[in-house]
Amino acid sequence: MRNIEEEILTIIAEIIEKDPAEITLDAKFYEDLGVDSMMALEILTALEKKYRITIPEEKLPQITTLRETVAIAQEFLGRKEPADA
Amino acid sequence: MLNNEAIQRLLPQRYPFLLIDTVLECIPKKKVVAVKNVTINEPFFAGHFPGAPVMPGVLIIEAMAQASIVLVAEEDEENPKKKSYYLGSVKIRFRHPVVPGDRLMITVEPIKLVSGAAIVSVRACVEDKEVALGEISLSIKEG
Repeated sequence: MRNIEEEILTIIAEIIEKDPAEITLDAKFYEDLGVDSMMALEILTALEKKYRITIPEEKLPQITTLRETVAIAQEFLGRKEPADA
Repeated sequence: MLNNEAIQRLLPQRYPFLLIDTVLECIPKKKVVAVKNVTINEPFFAGHFPGAPVMPGVLIIEAMAQASIVLVAEEDEENPKKKSYYLGSVKIRFRHPVVPGDRLMITVEPIKLVSGAAIVSVRACVEDKEVALGEISLSIKEG
């Protein structure tokens, strides 16, 4: 869990240009962190590239917090346990 | 292959800001190869730079963005509802200057296409030389 969470945090921090410390598990992307829909799409696409998965467009509205984003990645990785990508 | 008339049905840009002259290959949503012929008569060369004309990088990006619109645009003549296109982010590396006489060949391929937005990979070449490459994201709004 910890590994993938940190990886995704790094990806998100780079895309939204925020200090990773600001991106807590439940900080709201849109309200608290100034994320817009294009950034959300970039996050989704970066996850696809990093983990070699395909995430359908319908999941885009769920990219709202780090916790939700990690859950989506895990859902499509088909695993609950941590592993190095 | 799309001629300039067909390109103008897809792109909202017009003179002096239509930066695609012809489209050599167009497989909607899959691949576009577009051409911008760069001549000494381009107005921007008067100031960029006097005596040393170089195509501004931002205009190479604009040409890439217009080629990207060709990739995602859907021609619908019965319902020609105008769409607006906005750049979301641009990550481009420039490798060689583009100068008068160059034939800028731009290849666009999708990375992720969703309704209302796209992330594409773009590459611009002059003959066999890669002059710029990277990624562009754009959003598409109705009206």
